[in-house]
Amino acid sequence: MKKKNVFLQNKTFVIFSVLAALIILTAIFAPLVTGGADPVKGVLADALLPPSKEHIFGTDKMGRDIFTRVIYGARVSLSSTFAVVALILIVGTITGITAGYFGGWVDAVIMRIADMMLAFPGLVLALAVAGIMGASIKNAIIAIVAVSWTKYARLARSLVLKIRNCDYVSAAVVTGSKTSHILFRYMLPNALPTLLVTAATDIGSMMLELAAMSFLGFGALPPAPEWGYMLNEGRACMQTAPWMMIFPGLAIFVVVVVFNMLGDSIRDILDPRDE
Amino acid sequence: MRKYMGTAALAVTAAMLFSGVTVQAAKENVLNFGCAMYTDGMVNSALDENSGWNAMRYGITEALFKFDDNMEVTPWLAESYEVNDEHTDWTIKLKDGLKFSDGCELTPTKVKEYFEYLKKEGPSGSAKPEKYLEFEAVVTADDTANTINIKTSKPYANLMGQLCHPTMGITDVEHIEDFDHGIIGTVTNVADIQNFQDSKDFTVDIASGVRCGFTWMNFDGILENKTLRQAILMAIDTEGICNSKTIGGLYTPGFSVLPSALSYGYENLKNPYEYDPDKANQLLDEEGIVDTDGDGIRELDGENIQLRYISYENRLLNDLADANTQYLAEIGIGVVPEYGSSDDQWSKLAALDYDLNNNNWMTVGTGDPLAFLANWATESTYCAYSNPEYDKLFEQLKGEMDPAKREQLIFDMQQILIDDAAVLVEGYYNSSMIYSKEVASAKIHTADYYWLSTEIVPAK
Repeated sequence: MKKKNVFLQNKTFVIFSVLAALIILTAIFAPLVTGGADPVKGVLADALLPPSKEHIFGTDKMGRDIFTRVIYGARVSLSSTFAVVALILIVGTITGITAGYFGGWVDAVIMRIADMMLAFPGLVLALAVAGIMGASIKNAIIAIVAVSWTKYARLARSLVLKIRNCDYVSAAVVTGSKTSHILFRYMLPNALPTLLVTAATDIGSMMLELAAMSFLGFGALPPAPEWGYMLNEGRACMQTAPWMMIFPGLAIFVVVVVFNMLGDSIRDILDPRDE
Repeated sequence: MRKYMGTAALAVTAAMLFSGVTVQAAKENVLNFGCAMYTDGMVNSALDENSGWNAMRYGITEALFKFDDNMEVTPWLAESYEVNDEHTDWTIKLKDGLKFSDGCELTPTKVKEYFEYLKKEGPSGSAKPEKYLEFEAVVTADDTANTINIKTSKPYANLMGQLCHPTMGITDVEHIEDFDHGIIGTVTNVADIQNFQDSKDFTVDIASGVRCGFTWMNFDGILENKTLRQAILMAIDTEGICNSKTIGGLYTPGFSVLPSALSYGYENLKNPYEYDPDKANQLLDEEGIVDTDGDGIRELDGENIQLRYISYENRLLNDLADANTQYLAEIGIGVVPEYGSSDDQWSKLAALDYDLNNNNWMTVGTGDPLAFLANWATESTYCAYSNPEYDKLFEQLKGEMDPAKREQLIFDMQQILIDDAAVLVEGYYNSSMIYSKEVASAKIHTADYYWLSTEIVPAK
């Protein structure tokens, strides 16, 4: 029997990875896509113009071109989202594996801290952290990482606990393998696939959290082209200039859907439970 | 009920959109009053400037005198007053039968107690009550004659106007348990505002602009540099900003701290820093304030100029700050926005913790601009500005009785501030009150101390 092409087998994955790649390329080549327009430079005389040939998404309160800002917004949103996901993956994995492997008081301390963080609603705690540190994209990233690593730590710990007492681990210990070798050779490879799948499915929700932080004034600062902040700017003009909210809102919707679907399809392919 | 809730939400939204005040009648004998709230709604008038405004605007306190719409002083709790020729000995007669909302009588002794409380608590707060009545003043109460006597160490041209300020709203100090949230004022009949009918129709009332939108420049920092301040003023097209769709004509452009509509000689003032970005660039270049590392931001003393701009969402202040930021970027001056609540803005202003700080203030809060101009006098400024010539004129103004001479002093003081590039004036704001057709005469006053007042009556 002829083996089926791996791409044809996973159509959803292929479609959404192409779309995701397109979004990433748009962000990278934003100056080309927007014809060299400056996303933070506006002309007040052109403020609040509705969509037209010159400004296909209209202009905002400062007379800036919304299309340019939406395109450049992809840079801020994608880079900060990937930063958040990478950081929570790294922090969560290290703490989780450490807790699971060493057990005892190390496990107790790490997991009680994680439990404490889980006792608060995530976004509310993130808002409090960002509020203390002051509004900026960097602080919003730190705040979200500070409250989101626990999920990965608990997951990594449970995956490590599953194999912690397996014979091959015990054999490695009695044959004098270094702890670091055991952690990197046995523990990490065992936990990583599941953690990566979780990270891929988290991209969309992290993007929404970052946009929410900016929308509430705890993330991007004016005049940065960030979608959540643009929504906030448009809020006051919702009735008179709806285009200020529609286009950044659509951008968030499209990108979150694409990355969510991509994450789901990666999970479908890699999730060991389906094998 | 759902319809009512919708209307109430619309009322609040309208208030937010127009940064004004919304009044709307409801079926349940409740008047819904949507308005801006400062200092978390605290009403500690002795300690905090905004609290005093809250207390008077929300109809909790009344002062001895109040302003009419021509900004003329009229009696409120007082009935009349007498003053000696030197303007240092004032005798104020109170109206008969005045009571606090807790039922206690409002006697001259009670007024004296409040003034003494101001003296005790004032120095530790931000209200600065000494701006309205000096701490050195000797106050004596005569309950039998129902009069209060104030002897001031120096002449006051307009003490009655000073006593109109919200900080001077009288409260029952003896019986108050919670000064932050539960002060006892004199207005007892707000509950009479009842039986209004639900309505979706609103009326907009606009008062002529005696408020000035302006950005403080902190002299205790990088903006001590006069060239930088001059360049900032020349870089910003205030006329273009005020006339843009974004500001929508809610501000009238101007370059002096006192509105052009007032009779303080605006038309004869000279503005050496009219909008001219090329000249601003040239000025900075000549002073050696240039961009050496090519990042688009000029440097001063080897560091990028990144001005911390404090602002808050009220009366389009954030939009004005954004617009100013956009213009400053054109001449290579960077801005780091710090937009928060009015309380953040106020506390950073009081602590001199800013480079640029944006607000919108009443200019003739005591009937003339004395208290407002005190904001640039060395003794009471919030921006570390100090000019001995200005201080000298300010001292003269305090005691000058001749209206023509007062006008001249005020004119000269304005020109000094303009020449020193001491403040970035954004424009003069027109306040608004939006109210349901079912509410009659809920108008915004020129002196916008009086929002929720006993004047608000149902239309039918």
